[in-house]
Amino acid sequence: MSRPSLLEGVRVVDLSMGWAGPLAARHLADMGADVIKVEGCVRFDWWRGWEATQEWIDEGGAEMSPAFNMVNRNKRDLTLDLSTLEGADLLLRLVAISDVVVENYSAGVLPKLGLDYPVLAKANPEIVMISMPAFGSSGPWQGYRAYGSTVEQASGLPHQSGEESMPPTMIHVALGDSVGGLNGAAALLTALRARRRTGKGQHLDLSQSECLFPLGIKGILTQSVTGSPPQRLGNRSLEHAPHGVYPCAGDDEWIVIQVRSEAEWKAFEAASGIGGFGDVADRLARREELDDAVRAFTSAQVVELLMPELQEAGVPAARLAGGLELTTDPHLAARGFWKMMQREYVGELPHPAPPYRVGEAPFDIDRPAPTLGQHNFEVLSEVLGLKADEIAALAEKGVIGTKPRLP
Amino acid sequence: MSEEAALAGIRVVDAAGSIATAYCGKLFADHGAAVVNAEPPEGFATRREAPFLPGAPAPENSALHAWLSTNKASAVVESAADIRDLAREAQVVLDDGRFDCEHFSALAPNVVVSTVTWFGRTGPYADYQGTDGVVQSLIGMVRGIGTEEGPPILPAGCQAQIVGGLAAYIGTLGQVIAREIGNASGPVRLDTSILEANLCFTEVGGVGGHRSGRRVRRMGVNRYPPTYPLGIYPCRDGWLGVTALTPSQWKSFCALLDMQEFADVPQYQSAVGRLQDADVLDPLIHERVREQSATELFNRGQGARIPLALVPTMEQLFTVDQYVARRAFDEVRPPGQEGFVAPVTPFRLFRTPATRGGDVAPLGSMVPTPVEPPRSLRA
Repeated sequence: MSRPSLLEGVRVVDLSMGWAGPLAARHLADMGADVIKVEGCVRFDWWRGWEATQEWIDEGGAEMSPAFNMVNRNKRDLTLDLSTLEGADLLLRLVAISDVVVENYSAGVLPKLGLDYPVLAKANPEIVMISMPAFGSSGPWQGYRAYGSTVEQASGLPHQSGEESMPPTMIHVALGDSVGGLNGAAALLTALRARRRTGKGQHLDLSQSECLFPLGIKGILTQSVTGSPPQRLGNRSLEHAPHGVYPCAGDDEWIVIQVRSEAEWKAFEAASGIGGFGDVADRLARREELDDAVRAFTSAQVVELLMPELQEAGVPAARLAGGLELTTDPHLAARGFWKMMQREYVGELPHPAPPYRVGEAPFDIDRPAPTLGQHNFEVLSEVLGLKADEIAALAEKGVIGTKPRLP
Repeated sequence: MSEEAALAGIRVVDAAGSIATAYCGKLFADHGAAVVNAEPPEGFATRREAPFLPGAPAPENSALHAWLSTNKASAVVESAADIRDLAREAQVVLDDGRFDCEHFSALAPNVVVSTVTWFGRTGPYADYQGTDGVVQSLIGMVRGIGTEEGPPILPAGCQAQIVGGLAAYIGTLGQVIAREIGNASGPVRLDTSILEANLCFTEVGGVGGHRSGRRVRRMGVNRYPPTYPLGIYPCRDGWLGVTALTPSQWKSFCALLDMQEFADVPQYQSAVGRLQDADVLDPLIHERVREQSATELFNRGQGARIPLALVPTMEQLFTVDQYVARRAFDEVRPPGQEGFVAPVTPFRLFRTPATRGGDVAPLGSMVPTPVEPPRSLRA
């Protein structure tokens, strides 16, 4: 098995760091594009570590991050010091023979290096380049800094989840990153299709905070069409009951149960033995009483058994998994979702498959994330045609390298 | 839509009408593909999804359906054969698992039948009942949200389905492009799992759990490892979103809030070290921001390169200067109703821009033309 060749022949220069940009490029890599990640020995991907010390470097810390390893599989890695003339020139030469550039530097970094879109487009008018600043490349916040958490906060989404008594409630440590990454991949494919039609490259602008608006669409549209904000209902529904998260036997074990129809209620009623409640109007009117009864039932149940029992009866229910259960989930295991791969420094790590597949098997993953500068020689010689002594001179000058350096 | 539209020339038929397939189809339509909703006589289920347009009659009264359906056509279909007629020469059929590829392949030999289901077409959960909450629970997201004692909190809305539709768009467009550039040929059935699409949020935690053997535990509302300070704090005029991850951001944050005595504490030079003392630091942060203006702190903080945010309410969202300047919202025009404001497609292609907002076709306004089956399909 090997990676699909859907995007074979497409070369991507991945200048991005962190989560969102590398995830966008990962989707293209998973479809067979040749993704060359370009980072510096001083300015390395901050997802390798954001609190670098010499001790951390000496202990191989830059290669250990599970997060970095997760989003950079199927890529090659080239180090270039873009602040040097040689490094910038090599990047331009690489862009000239590539199809896509992905970048998520803070605003102003690439122009300062003399490597912004107009410069890259001059090197290659057909280049498709995506910039992924947190708030987009225009507007009063264009230069503002953000993480995935900042983006979630600024999207207004926290005003939709949780109870009215809670502060606006975030749902993730970095929600904006994954969604930004998916939108980045979608944008790049859209632009590649446009280039095929028009023969022209273009610059793409993606605001990670705007990418979260579709996730909050029900609340945004409620405000738009009714003039009132959506109610923050916690785990309740205005239309269905029972509908919530209920405790199970054991330490911090929970099950979500969301009955959506009378048929599902009948199935739940039979499976749980809870009686005395009528149609949905009655259940909504007596919601607290019903929730007490559901809690009394679920509290005595083992969640691993209750979830399949309810699901097989036709009731939407699921255990609240934690990190530990994701790689052992029987469904994901049966679908071959996680692929175990060996990598230098970290040993064996599970890698998630792309969420789309053809047939029963997931798209294969060729290689784990590269180590810093792992493919310097390969890329510089095979792709850019440099001779061995030229590459050695670059290493001598520190333009390329394989170990991080403190500034 | 201009001739230069990115996806012009691609024909898409949505034969499922779930929120996930509709969002996938919306991205195609807004970028210029010809997308047809192949709806049953009563219309897609999305037509019965809230929120509703006040005073508007069914089946054209769902604002959610309208937003999902901009720039698409709508045809009423009575049978699988009708859908096949509609899908002649289509590059993409969006499906929820009802159809075999062969149903379309004779009429559209390079067709991508893109199936989007909660759990994928195979595996022990394939026939399980899915909801956004079920998926978000299985991926490990819900366990971390809410108070320490629980219950954990479900994210609001239809977020998991939107993410599933977005992932399906990526996979589907990849297949279309591969066929156009000669890297693939023939009909194909693509299987997108909404569960697996949403694992993008927690895959890192999954690997962490695999290595450490530890499970996610809630630490309180808006408190997520390994970052601290992280959260949303009330100010005198609104809500301030705070994230300080690096040592320099922490120092700048301390300076912003006049908390210099904490700036150089060795333990606080790491996010995890600060998180251990969150119960000590949090009341102090609350106290320091309470009487200040969120807008002022936001601008001063960003000036000092601290990733702070204004946290707009739903009412404020439409007037945030950043979103107004970028025209992040535009008008959706449902049939026979006044238009309403809604988010535009979130990624911008400068040379081949997406349609902003747009018209919504009435149910069944497109009449499909029956097509003579090719010789190979005739009895």
